[in-house]
Amino acid sequence: MVAVDWKLILEAIGILIYAILVGFLFMGIERKAMARIQRRVGPPIYQPLIDTLKLLGKKESISHGFIYDFGPIFALAASIAALLFIPIANFQLFSSNADLIVVAYLLEVPMLGIMLGAMSSGNPFSALGVQRGLLTMVAMQLPYGLALIALVQHWGTFKLTEIAALQQVQGWSITVPALLLAFIVFDIVFQAMLGLEPFDIITAPAEISMGPMVEYGGKHAAILFTQHAVQLFAETAFFAVLFLGGASNLLTLFLKQLAVLFIAIFVASIYPRFTVDQAAKFFWKWPTIIGIIAVLLTV
Amino acid sequence: MSERRDVNENDGVIHYELQEFQVFEPLFRWARKKSLWIVAFCTGCGGIEIPPLATARYDYERFGIMPNPSPRMGDLFLITGYVTPKTLKRIIVTYEMMQDPKYILTHGSCPINGGVYWDSYNVVKQLDKYIPIDVSIAGCMPRVEAVMDGIMEIMRKIESGEADGWRRYRENYDYYRKNQDELFGEGWREKEAKRWLAWI
Ligand code: SF4
Repeated sequence: MVAVDWKLILEAIGILIYAILVGFLFMGIERKAMARIQRRVGPPIYQPLIDTLKLLGKKESISHGFIYDFGPIFALAASIAALLFIPIANFQLFSSNADLIVVAYLLEVPMLGIMLGAMSSGNPFSALGVQRGLLTMVAMQLPYGLALIALVQHWGTFKLTEIAALQQVQGWSITVPALLLAFIVFDIVFQAMLGLEPFDIITAPAEISMGPMVEYGGKHAAILFTQHAVQLFAETAFFAVLFLGGASNLLTLFLKQLAVLFIAIFVASIYPRFTVDQAAKFFWKWPTIIGIIAVLLTV
Repeated sequence: MSERRDVNENDGVIHYELQEFQVFEPLFRWARKKSLWIVAFCTGCGGIEIPPLATARYDYERFGIMPNPSPRMGDLFLITGYVTPKTLKRIIVTYEMMQDPKYILTHGSCPINGGVYWDSYNVVKQLDKYIPIDVSIAGCMPRVEAVMDGIMEIMRKIESGEADGWRRYRENYDYYRKNQDELFGEGWREKEAKRWLAWI
């Protein structure tokens, strides 16, 4: 008999449900805030939940084969795995000596999962979207890596829990000048990770009609919505842990996540979209220069 | 087995209506009503009435309505004016791409009876013969308030289950197919598809 740790399992499920609900709430806040900035009333804050419910209630789903079905599930699983590596209010299911790297790359896997599914649909828009997505990912790797290197050099550890604990003692990362630069770089990359405005070239609705998502509908789209909710929660939590000193309870974490989210929303609602080449050029210029300065300062 | 599931090998579409989930049907209906995604497909004069609907003054996002470029995710198909046979082909293909349940809202007199184009050789007089329509708004051109009213009407019909165009289309497919073939000639789908193959 293997002893089953029921408490741990329940905690993990609880965190998952909490993450999905808060993720949906964040998506709703995103839409509402954008509407308010455009002087509209906007949808109710629980609108993404209704949307997901409606997508689940659709009576048919187009499938283009096994890989097409597998893509969204793969993406959802990767997001959940990333979530379980992040210390959320003293709870962390998995931990290793290098969680920082694990989380940083698990957070990018979902995009690959969606692309995998999208490519198998054979829609030309999906193919274009995937091409753009891969280019953005390649472009943002360099500043992303630099920001993380600066962070690791300063705190001298790869463990997320230790980074959070050190920040509790010595002050948040953003109070250190070098890490403030890293924060700026990370925030620019974060915008692309969320797929928000200056870098929403992957899903660009007016150009390539949702890009990779164009063929997904019904239950597949519902899974993708859930995945996006988990992803949003995980990314904002990761940000809060790295730069805003982590959190010892869910409320503090929620407030910090909200702060991070609102920066992203404000930036997104005033900037138009970059073209693909502009985005790549931008990523390899300013964030990279700032990132290199940050790394040099922390040596 | 209470689950009805028939997989059509030709189109790879899975249709399912789980009997176990019938209890949730009111909930799903409410969700459908509250989250209508519009397929952005503007024909005729009415497309210009959509920007005021979407922006600050009338703001249809209050009701969860969102323009969506992909027909696979769309629920509400707005036909915003007169329809020529050439557009009708695209409308039919797009409509068939959308997934059940799906609804059609037409603007203006033209889709109802031809409107001012009643004697034109190149306008489809009665759209209802080719695809099922759930709500029509009369007027030339209906103002934004009238369109809002039409949207409220379709929301009411969705909740009460009267908006069943998608079911009518499935059940009376032969009738609609016959009318379409009469207009375009047999085998028009294959011909259309061939023209697009070069792009895929
Ligand atoms: S009803 Fe009038 S406004 Fe509408 S499409 Fe016809 S002619 Fe144009």
